[in-house]
Amino acid sequence: MSRPSEGTLQRAIAFLAALGIGVAAYIAIADANSGSPVCLGGGSGCETVARSSWSHLGGVNIAVFGVVAYALLLATAFFADDLARFAGFVLALGGFGYSVFLTYVELFKIEAVCQWCLASAVLMTILFGLCAARLIVFAGAPEASPERA
Amino acid sequence: MSGPDRRSRLLQLAAGAAFLALAAVLVLIVITAAGSGDGGDTEIEGRAAVAKLLDGIPQRQMTLGDPAAPVELIEFGDLQCPVCAAYSEDVLPEIMETQVRKGTVKIDFRNLTIIGPESVGAGAAALAAGEQGRGWSFVDIFYRNQGDENSGYADDDAFLRAIAKAAGVRNLAKWDAERAEMTAQVEETSQEAANLGFDGTPSFAIKGPQTGGIKLLGFPESAGELEDAIEEAG
Repeated sequence: MSRPSEGTLQRAIAFLAALGIGVAAYIAIADANSGSPVCLGGGSGCETVARSSWSHLGGVNIAVFGVVAYALLLATAFFADDLARFAGFVLALGGFGYSVFLTYVELFKIEAVCQWCLASAVLMTILFGLCAARLIVFAGAPEASPERA
Repeated sequence: MSGPDRRSRLLQLAAGAAFLALAAVLVLIVITAAGSGDGGDTEIEGRAAVAKLLDGIPQRQMTLGDPAAPVELIEFGDLQCPVCAAYSEDVLPEIMETQVRKGTVKIDFRNLTIIGPESVGAGAAALAAGEQGRGWSFVDIFYRNQGDENSGYADDDAFLRAIAKAAGVRNLAKWDAERAEMTAQVEETSQEAANLGFDGTPSFAIKGPQTGGIKLLGFPESAGELEDAIEEAG
């Protein structure tokens, strides 16, 4: 099986990070409008999670931090140097770790699951895999000319 | 630094970061599981059930339901009262499903402290939660976590804070600052209930187009009795 080029990984990271921005922005906007995200399959999981105190950190909805993290991840996809590779890995690692923690909180503390949070966790998990692969395979490689992501 | 050296260094840093991240997540989970995170709400029960029960029903201060609903059912309750707790789990959910969700009635919770002075602090905390649209969530979750009457739990700061968190009160600092100011309102509604002749909880009154003012219901023992009263009032 042929190894994907760094450009392919960059494009995949950019696509998923853009999706992540959309998901996190939806949650943040719903919160800013004093509402909660609507679970597509019905049920009250999204409202329960959104209304829980776990949804805010220092008075700021954690989805706002998600938007920032996804935006930074998106930015790393536009560069093909070691700084971008390593920064992407660290951002995705942090996002993945926090997603694991939040999923634990949903399941065992809030006892409700928000589909949008779960979607973000899945996106962050895939992004972590892609960023880790990018770093492991391409770290130390000569700086490529900027890629269109 | 040469390419291979730089690669080796980056991968070492990445491995270190991954190890730190794993450790951080494990520590967070252990701290959270132990309930010592940020207020200790681990022993609070029923939040999911209450969230499901109240899902989609408007809450404004201590009123549950459409503010424009033609009929207003007024419950005078004491948060330490076990009968009120049983009533909130066994009788009121049916009214919420059949009447409140349809917008035909709204329910207003008012404090009537009869169990003891600790009920005042609890009632004030509920009112402060109501200022953030979580009053009914607070009351229903409190009921599901009642302790022994006047045993010190009902106005315990940590307990009330945990209930507020579980109810979804977002600005706990604001809630904490406001609850002291709500004591007077608890006493006012208790006096109002006494003036109406109520001396037990829960006690109900109703207002609607057909009641010509407030009509006392006392203690309707079933959802059917309440539904009849709502129908007559509307």
